[in-house]
Amino acid sequence: MYAAAWLPIAALLTQVLVRGGTIGWSEAAAIVVPMCLLYAFICQASWYLCNAVPLRESDPIRLIASHGTAAAVSAAGWVVAGGVWAWLLGAAFAIPGIDSRYVAQIPILFVSGVLLFLIAVAFNYLLIAFEASQRAESKALELQVLAREAELKALRAQINPHFLFNSLNSINALVMTDPLAARRMCVLLAEFFRGSVKLGSEERIPLGEELRLADCYLDIERVRFGARLKIERDIDPGCETCLVPPLIMQPLIENAIKYGVAPALQGGTLRLHAERNGARMKIVIENPFEPESSTKRGAGLGLKNVKMRLANLYDGNARLDVSQDNGRFRVELQLPCCGN
Amino acid sequence: MKVAIVDDEELARKLLREYLADCEDVQIVAECANGFEAVKVVTDLKPDLLLLDIQMPRLDGFEVLELVGREVNVVFVTAYDQYALRAFDVHAVDYLLKPFSPERLREAINRARSRLEAKQALPVAELSAAARPPGAHLERVAIRDGANVHVIPVTHIDYVEAQDDYVSFHSAGKGFLKQQTLADVESVLDPSQFVRIHRSYILNIDRLARLELYAKDSHAAILRDGTRLPVSRSGYARLNAVLK
Repeated sequence: MYAAAWLPIAALLTQVLVRGGTIGWSEAAAIVVPMCLLYAFICQASWYLCNAVPLRESDPIRLIASHGTAAAVSAAGWVVAGGVWAWLLGAAFAIPGIDSRYVAQIPILFVSGVLLFLIAVAFNYLLIAFEASQRAESKALELQVLAREAELKALRAQINPHFLFNSLNSINALVMTDPLAARRMCVLLAEFFRGSVKLGSEERIPLGEELRLADCYLDIERVRFGARLKIERDIDPGCETCLVPPLIMQPLIENAIKYGVAPALQGGTLRLHAERNGARMKIVIENPFEPESSTKRGAGLGLKNVKMRLANLYDGNARLDVSQDNGRFRVELQLPCCGN
Repeated sequence: MKVAIVDDEELARKLLREYLADCEDVQIVAECANGFEAVKVVTDLKPDLLLLDIQMPRLDGFEVLELVGREVNVVFVTAYDQYALRAFDVHAVDYLLKPFSPERLREAINRARSRLEAKQALPVAELSAAARPPGAHLERVAIRDGANVHVIPVTHIDYVEAQDDYVSFHSAGKGFLKQQTLADVESVLDPSQFVRIHRSYILNIDRLARLELYAKDSHAAILRDGTRLPVSRSGYARLNAVLK
């Protein structure tokens, strides 16, 4: 690629020499083309110089001095090498007077050499700046991902206050009529809050722990909703040790209650299903759904957050699919099963 | 005072019943687990006060208030504080945040009692404006038909027709009457979906099959089910602007 870019330069230089009138086409080309290939390598070396003398931080005088000297030295060396090549050509193919004709081109070749070197320097500076901006961009992207993850972590740690208020109201109602149940609710509530704070601070947890937290949550909601909330649980024990990001199911289960069971007049069945398939696992959360009664406002946000977390954490190796038919709303997670 | 309790959670109803037992001169006439039952109870038993939850299945507290608010006083009882402003906009007597103390409930009951003695009727427009969160378009229309309530998702509405002091929501060949003005209806529907094609008609543009020119300057809209509606000249311009 880079050498090919030099071919037009070689053609141009040949033309310049021929225009001078003292040298023929074939001779000029025979000298210039190999010279240009050689110079391509010499100019490439200017990249090191550019790195050693960064454009922004260096003193302009030093900048001009170092590049000027380097350009002069390389052009001089190049012209000498060209002379040797011309002499070799003359000797090998018995071309009389080629070296003297070459000597006549030295000034113009030297000047071109200096200019080409300086162009290469400018080009290298451009390349360095471009690479730096790309690095900055990918760094910014990385930071953005980190910031988002932190934001989600904060969100997860934040406990839904309405859940707390409604639960306290249920306890308030139970205190007189069923003190034992009130006591049990207090313990469940404490367990749930302690669990979500603890799990939220971890990187990865076994699915079993996530499910225990969900059970705790659902036990509390069952007290609130009574017979309106039915739960079906079908968990492959092989999944329980799989490591998952903490609280990845919890927002989906809360959504299922809030937008599925709670808005339905008769309530309905929440179904939790997990199965393992070798190195992957599938988690399904299914709830009843009345299209005409539910306002979906807000339900999308929880789903979007979970989707984003999966994309960040698994780099496209995890999926979240949402489907809806026959009055059932179904969220399916597919994850690699890390751990054992 | 006759009180009805409306909450979809049994424990929440139980708690209110227990608290009310200590209030003198309060008679619990009904307990309702949803908004439909509440409307029926208001029609049949004419309570003086509803203790009304907001988040309920299919018909929420604000929709219940829109339908029966002129006949009964309402105290909202909810875990959500973000509705408080809206609640007072619609002249709710009080707004109780769960969990609350028996004293707080008694205060609300007393407030309702003094409101009852003052006897004031509530304006219809303000009630209907409350049935939807501020800034959002209407998603469903709740219509009372005696003790029954029809809930029509706006996507099921074919067109809305003005009829004197009422509007008629037409859906799948049936009409549902509601006391409201067409301008009020227009202002709460999504304008990219519903177009005022005539002084007396708002059309759901998904139902439009074609437009016919039937006299100079005047058009008729033919709906998918064959219904013909007149389109005024300005209605035609509005329709074109939406359909582009």
